[in-house]
Amino acid sequence: MSDKLLSITGLSAGYGPLRVLHEIDFSVAAGERLAIVGLNGHGKTTLFRAIMHLVGWQQGSIVFDGVEIGGTRSLGEGRRTPGIVRLGVAMTPQGDAIFPGLTVKQHLDCGAYTKASWRDRALRRDHIYDIFPQLKALEQAYVGKLSGGERRMVSVGRALMADARLYLIDEPSLGLAPKISQRVVDALIDIGLDGKAMVIAEQNVALLSGKVDRMIGMHAGHLRGDVGHVDLS
Amino acid sequence: MDAGLVVYALYLAAIYGLMAIGISLLWSSVGMVNMAHGATFAIVGYAAYFAAVWGQPVAKGLLGAAGWDMPALAVFIGLVAIAAGALFGIVIYLIAFLPIHDKQNFAVRSLIITLALNLATVQTLLWAFGPQQKALPRVFGTGRFAALGMSIRVDQVVTIVATTLLLGSVLAWLRHSRKGLEIRAVMQNAEGAALCGISTRKTALPIMMLTGALAGLAAVLLSQNVFVSPTAGVTPLIKGLTIALLGGLGSVPGAVAGAVLIGFIEAATGAIPFLGQRYVLFVQFTFIVCVLLIRPRGLGGLLDETRE
Amino acid sequence: MAPQQAEKRFFEVGRRPHEITIRPDGSEVWRRARVPLTKRHWLAWRGVSNPRSLRRERRLLDKRPLWWTIGLGGLLVVTPFLSDQAINIAAIFCIFSAINVIWTLIIGTAGIFSLATMAVVGMSGYAAAAANVYLGVPWPLMMPVGALVGLVLGGFLALPSTRLDGLYYALLTLGVAEICRVFVSQIKVLAPTNGSINQVGSFIPADWLLQRPGLLLGFFAAFALLLAALLVFRLINSERLGLLLQAAREDEAFSEANGIDYRRARLWVFILSSAALGAIGAFYVMFYRSISLAVFSLDQLLLLFAMIVIGGLGRSEGAVLGTAIVVLIDKGMLDLGPLRIILVTAVMIAVALTAHHGLTGVRLQFRNFRNRKKSESRAARTKKGGEVMPEEATEIADKQQVYYRLFDKRLRDQLKTQITPELIAEHKARPLGQHSDALDRVLNYFRRGEMPDKYAILRVGAYTASTYKVLAFSGRPGHPPRVVDDKLYASMDEAYHAVFLLRINDLLAS
Repeated sequence: MSDKLLSITGLSAGYGPLRVLHEIDFSVAAGERLAIVGLNGHGKTTLFRAIMHLVGWQQGSIVFDGVEIGGTRSLGEGRRTPGIVRLGVAMTPQGDAIFPGLTVKQHLDCGAYTKASWRDRALRRDHIYDIFPQLKALEQAYVGKLSGGERRMVSVGRALMADARLYLIDEPSLGLAPKISQRVVDALIDIGLDGKAMVIAEQNVALLSGKVDRMIGMHAGHLRGDVGHVDLS
Repeated sequence: MDAGLVVYALYLAAIYGLMAIGISLLWSSVGMVNMAHGATFAIVGYAAYFAAVWGQPVAKGLLGAAGWDMPALAVFIGLVAIAAGALFGIVIYLIAFLPIHDKQNFAVRSLIITLALNLATVQTLLWAFGPQQKALPRVFGTGRFAALGMSIRVDQVVTIVATTLLLGSVLAWLRHSRKGLEIRAVMQNAEGAALCGISTRKTALPIMMLTGALAGLAAVLLSQNVFVSPTAGVTPLIKGLTIALLGGLGSVPGAVAGAVLIGFIEAATGAIPFLGQRYVLFVQFTFIVCVLLIRPRGLGGLLDETRE
Repeated sequence: MAPQQAEKRFFEVGRRPHEITIRPDGSEVWRRARVPLTKRHWLAWRGVSNPRSLRRERRLLDKRPLWWTIGLGGLLVVTPFLSDQAINIAAIFCIFSAINVIWTLIIGTAGIFSLATMAVVGMSGYAAAAANVYLGVPWPLMMPVGALVGLVLGGFLALPSTRLDGLYYALLTLGVAEICRVFVSQIKVLAPTNGSINQVGSFIPADWLLQRPGLLLGFFAAFALLLAALLVFRLINSERLGLLLQAAREDEAFSEANGIDYRRARLWVFILSSAALGAIGAFYVMFYRSISLAVFSLDQLLLLFAMIVIGGLGRSEGAVLGTAIVVLIDKGMLDLGPLRIILVTAVMIAVALTAHHGLTGVRLQFRNFRNRKKSESRAARTKKGGEVMPEEATEIADKQQVYYRLFDKRLRDQLKTQITPELIAEHKARPLGQHSDALDRVLNYFRRGEMPDKYAILRVGAYTASTYKVLAFSGRPGHPPRVVDDKLYASMDEAYHAVFLLRINDLLAS
């Protein structure tokens, strides 16, 4: 499994006495675009947060690019998150964790956490404006005052600023009008993935079917569709 | 009301502003009320005293002939004060912030710990040095000079100028530098900042060192008029807290405005014949009570970047 | 099959704390004593029938009255035999505890962060002292006078509490305390001798002052004051006002939507507490027979604040415990000098670093910690699906269910090993008819399944030229089966095989 960018074995995670994920086994190869579909409340967001160390407690191994970032842990949420981000994992959380008082330009600058990306942040910003043309006009606007779709674009753009190897996009179409969510998803699909991987958690299967390499279902904390699957043809 | 009084008011405003901005900044970025500022005051005072005791003959020996010894000593004491304040800021970071910053009930517990640190430091200083007051040499200028037809004290002007420059540069640094951007990001959404690779613990440390250094500078500037003693920090702590709350906790422009107002009130109260120094606190608190009753969140009101 | 006896870990199911139980004789009539004039019982006894021993038992649900009785009763009994200094310390402990209990009522129950406690106590004390010394009011009436003054001051202080919140209100009350101090020190007619009033009438006769009988009398009176403060706390916190405010503490908007006027409740609690503080102020004056400006000092206020935070905000036990610890260190170890304050601050830091909500919240904190550790170790132990967790098992009445689920899981694990491509090919070749042993077992398991797990075949079209679709049963009466997918099968055999494959997939995924 050395070619796998991310491989998760036996991951259980939860909040307090509630266990949300039940021993998940899951892996992503480099160059793969993967979608995890399922209803709300079944553990897609918890899976992403477990990778980023933001859940209440977790057990099981998560190996990213040969480095073990999982392990048994309880409490201290978020203490190791900056470290994991700097290893090369970028997450766009559900509901975009934006900074209400900063402008779009400052948001994108926040995303450039490595020295190299900070140095040519203007170039990278322009690249993001190519992907999301609407943001160019809103460069100096406070993100707290933008609409949902624009915030989503800022959030995704922020994750693209530094050279992350693994992109975890959580519910890109949540709360957006169909046209705008289509635009956001199209932009996500257009992003080239050489040596990188992207995992999108989404409730709306129709938006992503046919555009991703693999689709896995998640139900009640268990992954289905990738486990012991028998060909129905 | 003569210019000397105005300068005195601005001088007080500068010093109180240093304390109040430190408290406001710390609250808005880290979510912690630092009651140990008074202790920083006292410790820096003693550090500056010992630095002066050691440094004065040295400076006189090296630069006495050129007449530069006093300004050099001033710079030296200032640097020692800033370093001591930053060091104490690190101590507060290690004890009051690091162990509990992501645990439950952080605001109340950090308040208690900083309060305890304050009390402990004051008592330790009392026990170590006794309650006698010590005087710092007047390195920031002595005498008066004539300007605008009136005589103004040199050290007050130096203080006002130095403080304004320093605060201006600190605020500019916060607004434009990368570290300042990180601090503002953490202030507004700690989890979002973590997802951008910005660690709350790594940004809290420079903030606490900075606020400690500001308090240290305030201590050394004020000790030209007030003696260095273990309980020297009590009144400035209360004044700093009240001004920070008056300006709206977390609002730096509010803290500046509050500091100017309180400075003027203190100067005016001291000058009015039938009131005098004894009534200073009384008048200030009455003023604050009135303002709070009219504007419950202080002068600054709610800005986009404040934390509740 | 050798019996595997070796390491079999038994996991404890649930936690039964050691209970105080009484096993009364079966023929006894159960009587429970009530507090006179009320419908309350003294202790919360609950009668249960033990299903294993089939005997009646009585359990004490709430053991806190026992701890209170032991603690305070011990204090009452032991103190008269101690030295004069110890009696003085015990009396000071009682007075400070009374102040802190009422302060806990303000900060914890009403949620108003007020630092004006000592201001109210001091002003009422001065008013009562002035009434006694200058107006000739006899000393029994000093406490009502103090309570009245406290009530008025509380009324004034309560008004801004609705407008300001949290730290801003704390600042306001700090300012008020300072204003009061200056006010009192400037009124020469009130306090001619540097701000203090002396020679105040009291329940302690003048010649007994500072003698052992006077100290004892002072201690017993202070103890009675503490009991009265605890009674006031109980009456406000556990009755209507306290319950309304607890609802507001949980969720303000929701309680307001339910018609709970928590703002008014807060005001009432504040005013009543201020009246109580006023009465304590009057007692303070009577106890010392004098009052001075030291009552307004900030250091004293911070020390009291330290007491309630060490104990834990919101509970009267916290106030008393914190006061006991700090008073013991501060007044009991006078020979340590300034070191004792450092010791107090060390206790404060230690408590704040380890306990989330003070010392009295430690039990709940430990229980939460233990539950969290248990859920994590549960996550380590369990296998996928099928097993019933021990904590769940205690809730299931029919224990056969537990064993059936375990059996089912073992069966499924065994069947999963049997599913091979040969098996599937065998079924594809001949869905109905004689099967091998493995296929038979798998099919029997499927046939025994419950309705929600089963599928059906729908014939589409005319009887002669029909195609077949697969449906899935919902298992609920009144809900029609749903179509699994759009595939059409030419013959029944193909449809049977498709259903078989779907069941196999479900088995492998479970």
